[in-house]
Amino acid sequence: MTETPVAAGVDLVVALTSYNDVKSIGAVARAVRDGVARAFASRPVRYVLADTGSTDGTREAMREIVGAEALVEVAYERGPQLGELPYHGLQGRAAALRAIMQTAHGLGARATVVLDAGLQGVRPEWIDQLLTPVLAGEFDYVSPYYERRVNEGAITKGIVYPMARALYGVRLRQPAGTEFACSGRLIDHYLQQSFWDAEHASVGIDLWLALAAAAGEYRTCEAMLGARGGSSRVAPSDPSTTLAQVVGALFVDVEHNVDAWQRARRSHAVPVFGDVADPGPGSPIEVDGLLESFRLGYRELREIWTWALPPRTIVELRKMTEAGSDRFRFDDRLWASIVYDFALGHFLRVMPRDHLLRSLTPLYTGWLASFVLQMRDASHAEVEARVEQLCVAFEAEKRHLISRWRWPERLRR
Amino acid sequence: MRRTGTSVDPLWYKDAVIYEVPVKSFCDGNADGIGDFQGLYEKLDYLQSLSVTCLWLLPFFPSPLRDDGYDIADYTSVHPSYGTLADFKRFLEAAHARGLRVIVELVLNHTSDQHPWFQRARSSPPGSPERNFYVWNDTDDRHKEARIIFVDSERSNWTWDDVAKAYYWHRFFHHQPDLNFDSPEVVRELLKVLDFWLDLGVDGFRLDAVPYLIERDGTNCENLPETHAIIKAVRAHVNKRPSPPLLLAEANQPPADVRAYFGEGDGDECHMAYHFPVMPRIFMSLHLEDREPIVDVMERTPPIPESCQWAMFLRNHDELTLEMVTEDERDYMYLAYSMDPQGRINVGIRRRLAPLVGNSRPRIELLNALLFSLPGTPILYYGDEIGMGDNLYLGDRNGVRTPMQWTGDRNAGFSKANPAGLYSPVIDDPVYGYPAVNVESQEADNASLLHWTRNMIRLRQHFKVFGRGSIDFLRPTNTKVLVFIRKFEDDVILCVANLSRTAQPVELDLRAYAGATPVETLGYTEFPRIGELPYFLTLGPYGVYWFELQRPHD
Repeated sequence: MTETPVAAGVDLVVALTSYNDVKSIGAVARAVRDGVARAFASRPVRYVLADTGSTDGTREAMREIVGAEALVEVAYERGPQLGELPYHGLQGRAAALRAIMQTAHGLGARATVVLDAGLQGVRPEWIDQLLTPVLAGEFDYVSPYYERRVNEGAITKGIVYPMARALYGVRLRQPAGTEFACSGRLIDHYLQQSFWDAEHASVGIDLWLALAAAAGEYRTCEAMLGARGGSSRVAPSDPSTTLAQVVGALFVDVEHNVDAWQRARRSHAVPVFGDVADPGPGSPIEVDGLLESFRLGYRELREIWTWALPPRTIVELRKMTEAGSDRFRFDDRLWASIVYDFALGHFLRVMPRDHLLRSLTPLYTGWLASFVLQMRDASHAEVEARVEQLCVAFEAEKRHLISRWRWPERLRR
Repeated sequence: MRRTGTSVDPLWYKDAVIYEVPVKSFCDGNADGIGDFQGLYEKLDYLQSLSVTCLWLLPFFPSPLRDDGYDIADYTSVHPSYGTLADFKRFLEAAHARGLRVIVELVLNHTSDQHPWFQRARSSPPGSPERNFYVWNDTDDRHKEARIIFVDSERSNWTWDDVAKAYYWHRFFHHQPDLNFDSPEVVRELLKVLDFWLDLGVDGFRLDAVPYLIERDGTNCENLPETHAIIKAVRAHVNKRPSPPLLLAEANQPPADVRAYFGEGDGDECHMAYHFPVMPRIFMSLHLEDREPIVDVMERTPPIPESCQWAMFLRNHDELTLEMVTEDERDYMYLAYSMDPQGRINVGIRRRLAPLVGNSRPRIELLNALLFSLPGTPILYYGDEIGMGDNLYLGDRNGVRTPMQWTGDRNAGFSKANPAGLYSPVIDDPVYGYPAVNVESQEADNASLLHWTRNMIRLRQHFKVFGRGSIDFLRPTNTKVLVFIRKFEDDVILCVANLSRTAQPVELDLRAYAGATPVETLGYTEFPRIGELPYFLTLGPYGVYWFELQRPHD
């Protein structure tokens, strides 16, 4: 890692993470440069590139566009390439973000925005939308809020958002976004945390940063950025891996922030900057496949589930496998209690954690099938209302989780 | 997810749960029959899962072991039976990696008579700096006002030394000569000892027997101003460190005298000191089924500086000391808890927690719930989390220092040595014996005392109020019920404990909290909202509730 620069009165840091992104970094760099020129022309700004040894000219392309004098390049260790590729496709992301934060801290930046150079839809206005809430001194963490169709971001809609909101009391709809902005004050807090070197940090770091802001009672808001666009990164195609990574990261945070979430009561909305647009209907989803996955999961994994789920839940699941496709519904409170029971099983290590997390996949596909069935032809507002209903169920079931967490009883031995 | 192990909160000890562990008794890693650092290292996962946050290690230094290691022969090394300095470092690093802090013993007052300092002193000429490391006199009639502490084994605080041709001073056993703190060299050498362990990374020191450092004619040689000056010098020395270590004073004195060991202003001596008087009164309240002994002693406890903290305990490696109670109370305690004279030693009762309360699980839970909820930092004694018993047939206080009971296997899983080679026999009676009481079986039993203790420790850690909050006692008509309110910042916890063996009703005046909802903290169950009328509760035998009083718009 390079040495932390000496403070130089910098207001803004615009940081990119990259690895062999020569195809996309030009567009991203131009967008951020133009965004800075439009919104913050008079402010001292530095660009930071956290690159992990690109060999395709990525760094050169960045230098060419923003100018070498305005650019701080930081190298970081990707770490050993163990395990599966993170869902966001960038190995060593935690190290990259830490290097960025240390640099921003050293520069004394008031606000820092982080974007990924592999992203293809970055627009200049994102810079204004993400940074202004921080620079105005009103917020410490700005989370992205992308337009998503019914079937997009389903893990977030069905698990991460409802659970994080219920537990930490902050309604961040997309809390694992790889694009975000934060204040210098929050960076100081981040740099004090132990999660940088934790197991699975590369996968969980974005979520942990968002939740650290929420748990630490920092001021948070959302910036409506429109559609996120595609990414050049290769991410795992196996939904089970993505689910295990994302939910696993959430459960790890829940285990480590017990004090914060067990004390938080009720949730509060966070301001959203920008207009929320309706992205229109998405491509139809084949529900039968999801339902078959659920039913197969029940047949094959029921034994495993009994390590985490109480008998009442298993009975409910059996009844659901017998329902016809047209009448298939996953009750919100049942779903919330299942997710919570898995979190507890994860905490208690009732079995190897990866096995437990992967066994959640058929249950999740069952929930997704139910959600899609209910949301066919629904408008964006109707989808939002449905997610809100789900969140209320997660909030209602939180007592159940606290109670069992404080007085855990293993279901099997 | 916060930093662990090296947390920057300088008041960490206020939120700590300390676990007292003798290295000798915990786990034997090299199969020689004696616990060691290798064994302790192997059991760190257990301690982490128990959720204690700080380990207090009893003396592990080279020693002839005539007082279980409190007779130190070398301050800066490890007794070979317990391992090497490298073993200690490995253990310390692993403990820190798990977020566990480690405090070690610093026996300031005296050394072993085998310590090179004493061997050098006895053969050095009178008046020489070497001789002056200890306290000498030509006769044994000086400082007659000083009491004898180990009345069962010592007749005088002076013992003749044939080599020195003089008497030397000792407040404890005759083989533990007191260091002479009027000698600046002694102070300098002990500060070097502190630095040695601090450089290795320990998080604090338990300062053993601090009231006795200085002797003066015409006094009882306890709590003298010159003694406090030494403690202040120690504190000033360690305060030069970026993260000053914890200093925990062992001063078995009345609270008003103990108060002085916190120092002046915001505390310029020790950060923590044991609250000795409260412990026997908790046992008295239990036996009397009356809250007054506890309320009385807590209300007579003087305020302490903001940065300071009481250390609370139910049992430890010594006898349940009755020095800090009245004669009537002492008689009562002996009658109530030790009709068998074999259970008595010095001025106290040499029993573990479970046997003291007749192995009654509800009583053990009640006492621990009080330990965890009264002001101060709780200290658990190893083995009490599983309800270990004791062995009155072992001499001195060795009956409460038997091997930790890990499994129902040979030697209780403590050691792979020949059973005859253990430093102490394991507890093997039908009630408390290792086949019945061990960690392995309690881990497998959801309803075990081990699980209960772990849950309560974790619950306590959700609420800083227990370590940092104020306390106000309520006085409902039914004196069998102890009620107090802890407050810290926005948190208000109502603690209600039934000290009797039968169900009890209680009416509480909670009008000051009208509108708040009591939420029982363990089950997270909401109770009816508090109004203007008396708040009525019923408690089962030895029942305890901790209610979080949640305001309507919290």
